Amino acid sequence: MEEFKVTIENFEGPLDLMLHLIKEKELDLFDLDVNILTDQYVAYLNAMQEMHLEIASEYLVELADLIEYKSKRLLPKDDSELNDEYEEDPKERLIRRLLEYQQFKEVSSELNRLYDERQQMMSKPLSSEAEEWMNSTEDVHYRGNPNDLFKAMRKVMMRMRLARPIETRYTSREISMEDRELEVRAKLDRLPKTFRFEALLDDCEDLPMFIATFLAVLDLARQHILAFTVDDEDVIWFSRGTGL
Amino acid sequence: MDEEKEIREEPAPFEVTPVTGQKPVQLQDPELAKALKTQEEQEDGMSEAILEGLLFIVGDDGITAAQAANALEISESRIVQLFENLQKKYLDDSYGIEIANYGGTYRFLSKAIVHPYAKKLFQLSKSNTLSQAALETLAIIAYKQPITRVEIEEIRGVGADMMLRKLEARDLIRVSGRSEAPGRPILYEVTEEFMDSFKLLSLDELPALPSFETEESDDLFEQ
Repeated sequence: MEEFKVTIENFEGPLDLMLHLIKEKELDLFDLDVNILTDQYVAYLNAMQEMHLEIASEYLVELADLIEYKSKRLLPKDDSELNDEYEEDPKERLIRRLLEYQQFKEVSSELNRLYDERQQMMSKPLSSEAEEWMNSTEDVHYRGNPNDLFKAMRKVMMRMRLARPIETRYTSREISMEDRELEVRAKLDRLPKTFRFEALLDDCEDLPMFIATFLAVLDLARQHILAFTVDDEDVIWFSRGTGL
Repeated sequence: MDEEKEIREEPAPFEVTPVTGQKPVQLQDPELAKALKTQEEQEDGMSEAILEGLLFIVGDDGITAAQAANALEISESRIVQLFENLQKKYLDDSYGIEIANYGGTYRFLSKAIVHPYAKKLFQLSKSNTLSQAALETLAIIAYKQPITRVEIEEIRGVGADMMLRKLEARDLIRVSGRSEAPGRPILYEVTEEFMDSFKLLSLDELPALPSFETEESDDLFEQ
């Protein structure tokens, strides 16, 4: 076998590696020589192993398929197989998978271009006055799951970042979750019956404080002092719970 | 027409008074239409201004044609037309912002030409990117939705569990239901956030998948 040079490229998986090998060895994808591909594939994995690179299990799964195909070809044809139910020829199946994967690989670069374009366009958050109008919403449905809460938190943090002045100066203030909880409880008196999470953040200067506030409200929710929900707009709403 | 006109004018020998009843029909027809049209134009201009203001207020939340139609009490098709007018106006190079409509939500966005300057102003160096794995997974879902995790893994040849959770957390995909297949696996589809992130009005706007069918079928026949 010829000398095998390993270039450490970031392959997206076994199919990506196979496409790379096919291109490198100038194999015909439509009339694939699975034997050559298998040899190359094995050589590549061996080389990776010699360099003590970890080989993900997915690569081994495809390797097993390739070797199975190769070994079957070495055995004399068993006629009884013809009577079996129709099964896609493993070679055809491999080619179909490679072609299909190649399609998505190619189109993803086009999507990447669109994504980059969109990233260069920016928007502003909802006007704060409008948010205050929405605050007065009386009937709020209480529901939601951790994932909704996660998404809503991302949105809140995004707004915090956008709202921050370009140049800021601050001294960080260390505060424990317990202390913050007391502060939050003090705030509750001057807040309306239902309010948005952002209403608790007006004195948050940095991320640790923000996180302390979040942990504090989670704890208050646990004690049923606060009840929260996340609406369709990913806004976190709070109201007084039964424990107050 | 001429006959009628003569007849009408005959019994009006003294002054215009009796004629007024008829005259408007003939004389004011084009003028009335013109007057009405300018009134309509004025209303459109005002509606456009209102829509522009609303777009400013809603910010990145954006606004749909249905929401705007509800607020302005104008038909949705009219709203779409007005938005299109506004979009055209902002396409002009003298504006630094534009009105995008991705996934049916209209919002103001700064134009791409502004971006390098914004980066300089904010001294930004890193930019948001999606990994190749994320892009491929998203592409598969967008073109094949609704689709199960196993079907995605079959195409990519690698596990997709973590990736699906990440994409779901980023709100780019969501669970759309369950398949009727054994085990009733979860089906995934892309979200409005995906449409916005990839500048798509609808999934029809996805770039065409590169085709390979013809070559393959040729080969099959040759054999």
